Amino acid sequence: MHRRFRLSRALALAGAMAVGLTAVTAEAHGIWFAQRAKQLALIYGIGADDLDMVKRLPQVEKIEAYDADYQPIKAAARVAGPIVLVDSDAQPTVVAAVMPYGTWSRVGTGEFEKKTLQEMPNATVSTHNIKYAVAIVGQLSKPLPALPGQVVQIVPAGPIPATLGTPLKYVVLYNGKPVAGAKVVNDMVNDPDAKEVETGADGSVTLPVRNQGLNVIRAVYVGPSDQPKLYKQVEHTATLAFTLPHAPE
Amino acid sequence: MKKLATALCCLAALGLSAPTLAHGFTKPQHGGVVMMNGETLFELVAQPAGVSLYMIDEDDPVNAAGMTAKLSVTAGGKRSDVAMVAMKGNQFFAKGLKLPKGANVGVQVTNKATGARYGTTFIIK
Repeated sequence: MHRRFRLSRALALAGAMAVGLTAVTAEAHGIWFAQRAKQLALIYGIGADDLDMVKRLPQVEKIEAYDADYQPIKAAARVAGPIVLVDSDAQPTVVAAVMPYGTWSRVGTGEFEKKTLQEMPNATVSTHNIKYAVAIVGQLSKPLPALPGQVVQIVPAGPIPATLGTPLKYVVLYNGKPVAGAKVVNDMVNDPDAKEVETGADGSVTLPVRNQGLNVIRAVYVGPSDQPKLYKQVEHTATLAFTLPHAPE
Repeated sequence: MKKLATALCCLAALGLSAPTLAHGFTKPQHGGVVMMNGETLFELVAQPAGVSLYMIDEDDPVNAAGMTAKLSVTAGGKRSDVAMVAMKGNQFFAKGLKLPKGANVGVQVTNKATGARYGTTFIIK
């Protein structure tokens, strides 16, 4: 477990968030799907840091695949050397994963430690982190719905365009409903430090599709605690990955 | 066309060559429809007796006998998974299968030895 937690620069602003929490974004890393040697892999990291997913695999709670009608297809993770591949029983249109990432607390601006409020009762920040990933890996025949288990999910509000630079509207869902105040980065792999854009009242942001290749959009939403004795907030980090094909050769 | 020929002549005169294409076949070889996934070509051919799938990995036809292939046909709110039979060379065949217009067809080919999966999706027009 790395400890490179990002210090929040927006502690004061976060207090004004709709959930009424002192919302601190503690961890910018995420999970996403990408192709490795033609196989579908589950990645943990940020930017060019393609980190050790194998050791984190026990934390993965769900890996799911869906057909063109978004009906489930049996899927499972498979360790292949240093990477984690996803095998499904049939060719999927969409794949998804959920990885709870523990409870982290700190006092003031100190280091985060993997402790709950019970273990660190004087913590000023105590956050439970959950990572989500959805990837569109086949041609969509109908709009992408809210998927089971994806508490926070990014969905495209229109068809995926053919070329980079084309604006695409995304809606960030929280428990299946559009949510305002989610912080979105257009490309967490190639531009992870870009200024985050917050979703508006309708839960949407519109961004130009950045890459004629893999696109990994990240949304972070800090929601209320479901276990206030253990942590003060839940930080949901969701990704949506899709690929624009390059020109025919 | 004239411009392209002139450009190629100029490149040749400068001792340069046109860029080499990274991949091999990208066009149908059997009159079907093609989807590329990276350097892998999938060609789906609807025939009166059924549906054929041909797979070429870069320039190399795969050995169908070393693979299993499955088509997942989603149409009318229902998905049917159809196992294909390996034929000669790089051909797989699903006898009697019809692909309705508008169907979303997932193709999955699995290497029997390594478990590696290759796939794409077609939308039938």
